[in-house]
Amino acid sequence: MHWKTRQRLVTWALGTLTIGFLLYQWLPILTLAVLSFSGPTGGTTFPMNGVSLHWYRELWAASFIGDFKPPLWRSFLLALACSGVTCVLSVASAQAMRARFAGHNAFFFLLLLGLMAPGLLVGFGFALLARLLGMEPAWNTTAFIVHVSWTLPFGFLTMLAVFNRFDVKLEEAALTLGANRFVAFRRITLPIVLPGVIGAALFGFSLSYDEFARSMFTTGPDNTLPLAVLAQLDQQLTPELYAIGTATTLTSLLVILLTTTVLWLSRRRAAAR
Amino acid sequence: MAQLDLEIRSLRKRYGGFTAVDDVSLQVGQGQFVCLLGPSGCGKTTTLRCIAGLEEPDDGEILIGGRQVTHDPPWQRDIAMMFQDFALFPHMSIARQVGFGLEMLKRPKAEIRKRVAEVLAAFEIGGLAERRPASLSGGQRQRVALARAMITEPRILLLDEPIGALDYSLRETVMLELKQVQRRSGISFIWVTHDQNEAFSLGDLVVVMNHARIEQQGTPQEILQRPRTPFVAGFVQGNNVFRGRYTAAGAGHARVGAYLLPAGGPPPAEGAEASFSIRAELLRFNPPADWPNRLAARCLTVEYFGSIRRYILQGPDGALLKLDQFGAEPATIGVGEETVLGWRAADAVLHA
Repeated sequence: MHWKTRQRLVTWALGTLTIGFLLYQWLPILTLAVLSFSGPTGGTTFPMNGVSLHWYRELWAASFIGDFKPPLWRSFLLALACSGVTCVLSVASAQAMRARFAGHNAFFFLLLLGLMAPGLLVGFGFALLARLLGMEPAWNTTAFIVHVSWTLPFGFLTMLAVFNRFDVKLEEAALTLGANRFVAFRRITLPIVLPGVIGAALFGFSLSYDEFARSMFTTGPDNTLPLAVLAQLDQQLTPELYAIGTATTLTSLLVILLTTTVLWLSRRRAAAR
Repeated sequence: MAQLDLEIRSLRKRYGGFTAVDDVSLQVGQGQFVCLLGPSGCGKTTTLRCIAGLEEPDDGEILIGGRQVTHDPPWQRDIAMMFQDFALFPHMSIARQVGFGLEMLKRPKAEIRKRVAEVLAAFEIGGLAERRPASLSGGQRQRVALARAMITEPRILLLDEPIGALDYSLRETVMLELKQVQRRSGISFIWVTHDQNEAFSLGDLVVVMNHARIEQQGTPQEILQRPRTPFVAGFVQGNNVFRGRYTAAGAGHARVGAYLLPAGGPPPAEGAEASFSIRAELLRFNPPADWPNRLAARCLTVEYFGSIRRYILQGPDGALLKLDQFGAEPATIGVGEETVLGWRAADAVLHA
């Protein structure tokens, strides 16, 4: 067999594997999504009992189980804040790494440690520390800080990879053309690394949005969404939980779709200019 | 005295233990074309980057147009720079990035638009105004980079191997164009290159650098005909370099080894190791009897370049020699043949 033919076969095999992986990733969510549309008497397993939007109405009215809207709102705000802070800090820290300051390697490993540390313990430790400092755990203070410690390394690595490919000569060219450092960053560096910045922002959002382990001990009395869902699971399992899973997944997809569309449009507009 | 466009006084730059630029001094008059020539790592690019303000010198002074700029940032110097791979902004249209320099000077929008159109037309790239760098050919990029750098009419344009990225066939045309552009504009060009053809065909002043220092500066003719050091003699094409003990020979003459030559500037100590060079076109086969310098050699190979024919020969001590003849004449000897060659004492150049 010619090696080209074998190569084609390998391509097919890898393609099949990819599809298999995608199914493995999405089938569980799809199952929940399907079951969330079952009728008012429907259970939490197959076969389905009728088809309706009943559980979505229940979810909205919050008549049967706890109201998910406040935790949802908190999680959303928290994720948004994490996203913004991750964005700014990861660009700043990656910029700092470019300067190869003394101890930059230690800095790198310390920042990455956030990825290795077990989340539950980080959260617990931070809660203890906060108490010691006289700080009451709350979703928008302690939980926020711990979330950023989790999302930042991801954003940082993204920006590091982007800056690794960035040609410093472009900045230097701007400087020799009369741009000061701030203008060079705004007009040259930032537009070029923007896809990476948006990637860091998405990491910040999605990692915070569904974070459970680090939230557990740091959130205080007002729950975020993952905590609220688990609390509800402890009490009673209804298709309402499926509805909430489906709704939030759709929201996330929508956010990503929106961001990429905005990015694409702004690029096209810039290109036309 | 006319104002100098650029003056460098005892410039020094170190990176850790490595000295990149050592005691470099240079004066560039108005509208001069200066080429910094040397092998890679000789400090020519670092010198250029110090002039641009992209590197901070450890010692020395830089004056642009008589103004002390040693500690000024790049954006406050009256310069522009062209990079080897052109460093075009990938996200900007050609018109936008050519106008970037004027935009930084806060010129009115209408004026910028007009100037950009003029400059693009002058460089014959008017049709590219709305394009992106990615869709341009190498030659077009080079023009865009030049237009972008020259639009603000800086006092000095710094060029870091500006045509190194171009196809060989394009270079000659581009070099001619650049020389004409430079003459018309009156802007001083500081051109960094490792290619001596570029340096000698373009430069009013050629500065040969090696190991962080200036070996010699002068007109192309001075450097080609009177190399001051063995490095320069070996680096530029067409020199035969000889080494030996220096002995005075009276009447303004001296000997290096067995060969007679003019004594030159401050003479080396008697018996010291010295070197001299003789250009390949000044060697002659079967020299007249009264030429004092002669040696037997065997022809190893003959290279033909059209305008010249170059014989590579091996002397009695095994050293390789080059002898150039006018290319239109028939070949004198063939490969493998033994011959005698020689040169006049006056044509040899003693090195410092």
